Amino acid sequence: MPTPEPSEYVTIVSSDGFEFKILRSAACISGALRKAFDPASGFREQVESRFVLENFPGVVVEKICEYLYYNQKYAEAKDVPDMEIPAELCLELVTAADYLDC
Amino acid sequence: MIAGRGRQRIRPPRRHGLGGNDLDFEKLWTTISAAFLEIHTRNASTLSYEELYRQAYQIVLKKRGDDLYKRVNAFEHEWLVTEVRKSIKEHYSPQMLANAQGLSSTTNERRMAGERFLKGLNDAWSHHQVCLSMISDVLMYMNRTYCDETHRPPVYTTAMTLFRDDVLRSPIVESESRSVLDLLCDVMLDQIQMERDGDVIDKYLIKSSVLMLESLYDSKPGSADERLYNTAYEQEYLKRSRLFYRQESELLIREADAGAYCRHASRRLYEEEERCKSTLSEGTMPLIREVVEDELIRNRLSEVVEMESGVRFMIDNDRFQDLNLIYALNARVDDKKSGLTKAVQQRIIAMGNEVNEAAIAASQAPAAAPDNGDKGKGAAPERSTNQQTVAAIKWVEDVLQLKDKFDAIWKMAFQKDNVMQTAMTKSFTEFINSATFPRSSEYISLFIDENMKKGIKGKTETEIDVVLEKAITLLRYVQDKDLFERYYKKHLCRRLLMNKSISNDVERQMIGKMKIELGNNFTMKLEAMFKDMTISEELTSGFKRHVEGLGEQDPRRIELAINVLTSMTWPLESMGPSEEGDSRRTQCNFPPAIERIKRGFEKYYSEKHSGRQLTWLANMGSADIKAVFPKVPQKDGTFKERRHELNVSTYAMVVLLLFNDMAALQSLTFEEIQAQTNIATNELVRTLQSLAVAPKTRILIKEPMSKDVKATDRFSFNEGFSGKFVKIKVGVVSGGNKVETDRERRETEKKNDDSRGFCIEAAVVRIMKQRKELSHQQLVVETLHQLASQFRPEVSMIKKRIESLIEREYLERIEGAAVDSYRYLA
Repeated sequence: MPTPEPSEYVTIVSSDGFEFKILRSAACISGALRKAFDPASGFREQVESRFVLENFPGVVVEKICEYLYYNQKYAEAKDVPDMEIPAELCLELVTAADYLDC
Repeated sequence: MIAGRGRQRIRPPRRHGLGGNDLDFEKLWTTISAAFLEIHTRNASTLSYEELYRQAYQIVLKKRGDDLYKRVNAFEHEWLVTEVRKSIKEHYSPQMLANAQGLSSTTNERRMAGERFLKGLNDAWSHHQVCLSMISDVLMYMNRTYCDETHRPPVYTTAMTLFRDDVLRSPIVESESRSVLDLLCDVMLDQIQMERDGDVIDKYLIKSSVLMLESLYDSKPGSADERLYNTAYEQEYLKRSRLFYRQESELLIREADAGAYCRHASRRLYEEEERCKSTLSEGTMPLIREVVEDELIRNRLSEVVEMESGVRFMIDNDRFQDLNLIYALNARVDDKKSGLTKAVQQRIIAMGNEVNEAAIAASQAPAAAPDNGDKGKGAAPERSTNQQTVAAIKWVEDVLQLKDKFDAIWKMAFQKDNVMQTAMTKSFTEFINSATFPRSSEYISLFIDENMKKGIKGKTETEIDVVLEKAITLLRYVQDKDLFERYYKKHLCRRLLMNKSISNDVERQMIGKMKIELGNNFTMKLEAMFKDMTISEELTSGFKRHVEGLGEQDPRRIELAINVLTSMTWPLESMGPSEEGDSRRTQCNFPPAIERIKRGFEKYYSEKHSGRQLTWLANMGSADIKAVFPKVPQKDGTFKERRHELNVSTYAMVVLLLFNDMAALQSLTFEEIQAQTNIATNELVRTLQSLAVAPKTRILIKEPMSKDVKATDRFSFNEGFSGKFVKIKVGVVSGGNKVETDRERRETEKKNDDSRGFCIEAAVVRIMKQRKELSHQQLVVETLHQLASQFRPEVSMIKKRIESLIEREYLERIEGAAVDSYRYLA
């Protein structure tokens, strides 16, 4: 493996070129991201710590990242406040959720 | 959330290639399969997961999941058959199967070849696992949706099954029927065998092979029994191990001693367990343990126990460690440890019987003497009875030693096992009560007697306690407790009356212990004896005051110390001259001075307790006499008066007082003495022997001088008597407690049987009174049960007693009952 120590942050890139650096642990909440960054398999994403989401624009990816942190923060908590989801994005987010398995 | 957000337009999800209608399946598959190939050849780092994932996602989204699934499986199959199989074959070398094919090759070569093969296979397997986990990562979406919906196993599982079919079950070489799996198992078994033989093998390789086999299933995945490990490997492993250990145990039994065998067996057990942990699977542990236990212990234990160097040898040589091993091994296969228990019991009984025989031999060494010597009362029987006493004490000590020995073994080697203790106690009981050795009760009582008289002198309380505790320990084993009571009473009686006991406290302590062990009933009479002694002391001092109160200041006053004994509690008959029973009750004539004081006491006593009759037992008493020997020339030429205080028996006192009023040198014949004193013949013979024959206390001169006393012998006062000490004790013949002669013994037993008869009758009546009707069998059982704490009656004796009770109309037979039954007649 080129990187023996997995970096703490990973980069998610949107289709329109926005880059989001988020905690690896948060990213791994998504099944697809987790597998892409799995050190045991060694795909290119893992080597570069960089995942390009070709299908989603920055505005959706931002929301995705927000959700990942939200999920991580409240993983063990009760009485969780609802997350703000702009209505116009919800369909796209549903697709993304299915795609990323989160 | 969405509602109430005002009128915003919901953006339709963009389908950047995700859901487009244009799907070129073949094109996508080409990309994917190329990527898979890269994965298999370890080139994954150039691949973009996102791209592959997206493509697989699209395919599934477009409902082509079925095609994709099949293509993937076909791809894997192809890969395994062409590539993996080839690489496995490269690792195959015929040396591995040297044994099977009869080729000669050293163990070392075989091991190396085997390791190479295992390594190749393991590498292939682990690589396959890694690749498939990456591929199934890529195909995650298919697994999640398509496989779930159609209930197909995920790609990973399918691919593992493919590995089983395409690699493990493929023939190694085209021409051979042996599959890779068979070979794998053979190699593993071979390696383990090498380890058993002492080689060092690569445990890790075997362990990973085991893990592989464990993760694959024989047919359908499901129950644990279906794992390839269990079906293909484990059974064969157990079979071979059984064979191996069977042979090994055979060899060992022939060549090693029992201790070494046990050590080896427990080492093997440990090794096998460790092997399961480190090399094989934990699940195999109970199975292989069973196999080894079967072959090394269960089937061999009796042989090991009976080996020349077996349990017997270990016991005799105090091999605690070996015994402990054998115990641990036995405990593994048998909760009751019956093999070992049996051997230990046999040994106890054998050793116990040796002790018994030694005692009998020691007591019968001058065998003829005591039997024939019953009539002639010479020194020979005296010595032989002494010898018997020594034998008795030696017997007790030997038994105690035996007990200590086995206690030590029990503590050190048997981990204080309860079952063993019960068994050992049983064996002790058995030999102590064995029919060939009926004297245990007597011997134990004698042992206590000896200790009370001499043994405990100068010992501390704790030491005394140990001795007493030992006696109690033995007593616990004795079944005929009533016989023991009889002997103990007799011995205690002697001790008390003759003041032989060193410490009354210890006596009381002993009785306290017996009370705890055997209950109140047992000690009641013994305690009554002590009470009598105390009362007697009070009586004596009371009488002394009474005499002083009379004011009769006679300088020649005689002091009287008296013991008043309740005839029911004291075994007086055994104290009397039992040989000639009819003369027992004759009263001897006391000289007037004595007679006077006797009357005085009788009067005093009847004032205190009216209606009681006193019987004087002169044969038990003793007297202190002050004697003045006149001035006669001594051997050393001195010429003076000598004073001695003589301690003699009552009879001797009576005899001596006869000479008091006679002139010097005047003599009396035996018959004259007897006529004047009315002492029974045998008692008088004994008395005169002690006065005239015993060399140090020759106060009387006998004519003619000889050892035996005849009716015509004449006796006169020995004026020339001299002694070194002022106080002289004239020995009382047969004063101590000795083992009974056979004749006495028969009598004791007869008496005992009589009293047992009453006990049995009482028990039968008690039972019948309660039950009213009872079958013969039940009655016998209950009677035995009731009397168990006292003795074990013979069934024939119970029968006889029942007959007698029927005759006396306590019971009647129930006519026409199916089994013999009795009814109680009120």
